[in-house]
Amino acid sequence: MKAPSMALLRAFAPITHSQTLPWTARGCLAQQQKSNFSTTEQRQARDKNRGPKKDPRITQIRYHLYHPLTPRPLRFSRNRALRHWTIHRAWQRYLDEQRKQTERTLERQYNAMSAACEALRLVDAHGLTADERTKIGESNTKEEGRLYRIAMLKTGVWDKVPIEYGRIQTETPPRKGWNHEWTR
Amino acid sequence: MNAGQQSARRIASQNALSRDTVCISCRHRLASHASRRHASAATAAVAEEPPRTQTNPSNPPVTATGPKKAFQLKCSPVLSRPPVITRELTSFEKAFFLYQKRLNERLALPFTRYFYTKKETPGDIEWKRKRSLRRGTAARDIGAYNAYDDEKWNDEVLVGSKLGDPEDITERLILDAEGKDITEGEPQGDAETGGETISGDARAGEGSQKPVAEVNVERPASRITEADEQNDVKSLNRKLDRSLYLLVQNKDGQWRFPEDRVYGRENLHQAAERILLQAGGINMNTWVLANHPIGHYVNAFKSPILSKILPNRLVRTSRELEQEEYGEKVFFLKSRILAGQADLSQNEYKDKDFSWLAKEEVEKVVSKHYWSQIRNMLTER
Repeated sequence: MKAPSMALLRAFAPITHSQTLPWTARGCLAQQQKSNFSTTEQRQARDKNRGPKKDPRITQIRYHLYHPLTPRPLRFSRNRALRHWTIHRAWQRYLDEQRKQTERTLERQYNAMSAACEALRLVDAHGLTADERTKIGESNTKEEGRLYRIAMLKTGVWDKVPIEYGRIQTETPPRKGWNHEWTR
Repeated sequence: MNAGQQSARRIASQNALSRDTVCISCRHRLASHASRRHASAATAAVAEEPPRTQTNPSNPPVTATGPKKAFQLKCSPVLSRPPVITRELTSFEKAFFLYQKRLNERLALPFTRYFYTKKETPGDIEWKRKRSLRRGTAARDIGAYNAYDDEKWNDEVLVGSKLGDPEDITERLILDAEGKDITEGEPQGDAETGGETISGDARAGEGSQKPVAEVNVERPASRITEADEQNDVKSLNRKLDRSLYLLVQNKDGQWRFPEDRVYGRENLHQAAERILLQAGGINMNTWVLANHPIGHYVNAFKSPILSKILPNRLVRTSRELEQEEYGEKVFFLKSRILAGQADLSQNEYKDKDFSWLAKEEVEKVVSKHYWSQIRNMLTER
């Protein structure tokens, strides 16, 4: 007797069916979802005996920082509000002015630096540019831009940064003052 | 040394090393190597020299075709001391900060006393003693202003009050730490005191209880130092909130940053470090920030100067040369002083004097032409 065909069973059996899931979803079967999708805190049931023990410090802070007037309203009269607005605008103008001055100083310094680098680039070992050479009547040039090429190297520029350079400005000077007696 | 160097050059010119196939720096290194070997047996070298120079007349002297025309190529380290303390606040800033503090007082919660001190502890008793005088204000830097009483609207300070000054705040904090009364700089009276100053009032209670022991709180050092008062331009303790630059008076009497020629094969960074050593002595802890210049100064002489440059003893590759100089080009390198002081006793450039000056003082001592080219690279503060 001929055995019945398994083709139908293979097509509709649950085992084989799960294999036909897209490969991206196969991980879902291996590891079931346990955590919530939401990031909000899970509330405990309202039973005092069941919940986790609260930190007494947190209780204290919550107790002391409670005030019926929070957040406090800041109420200004009409003139007072106008005065506040004026002060605010004056402060913004002042900050603008400061920022502008800082930027200008930095710009001046940057321009001085780039001009110096450009001048260094054009200079040869005798301190002459091509223009000056023709003007003075010097024909031969030597090592034009050598100092510039060396100056542009950035190798090891961060190697010897002294630790004292990290000192920040303070409101009052150190008690001992500057160390004039330092010797090598 | 001189004889050794010459013989070294002669050796270099005789053999294949003098051809263009060898680069200049390699040739220099080999040449100086040979010179060192000769220096150890100097007498022998001198003894055998004369016959060889006669056999080699093809070595032309440098000045055979007249002196080389050139500009003086100089390097100049701009040695500066960065500001040590923060800048002085403007009156507007002081007033604005105080205004903001008082506004914050209006928005914040009231002082929660038992959060900071337990009942009947010394801190609590101290607070109780001071509370009435301070009108319940815990902060020491905003004066007697309570944002929770009926006078809360009155949060603006009278004209001429010293209330927001940093010195004033420091003073109050110290007085408070010593257990003393914080005296008001202005009358902060209200209806109860009849417009009188409320602090220092014996009836109010703060002065009635004497502290148990005399407490001496150490005061911060003054922002204005002794060097400021004497205007000692040699001291690095002067003008602590500004950058100070080292200027030297050279042998011609001109004030400039320390400067010298770039010798031989050295680069600007090496030159700057060498010049700091040769100008200011070894007892300065300095740091040259970068390899590139931050500014330059170009000056054309009225008539060319014929100058003979002797080799520098610290630069091995420098040689004696003579050139006709039409001007000078100075490249400034930024450097910082971290400790120590300049000392001109070992100065090799015959500098007469030095001083540490802020930007506007630099303008007063240097020449106009020099100033016009250095002003942009100096920082404002």
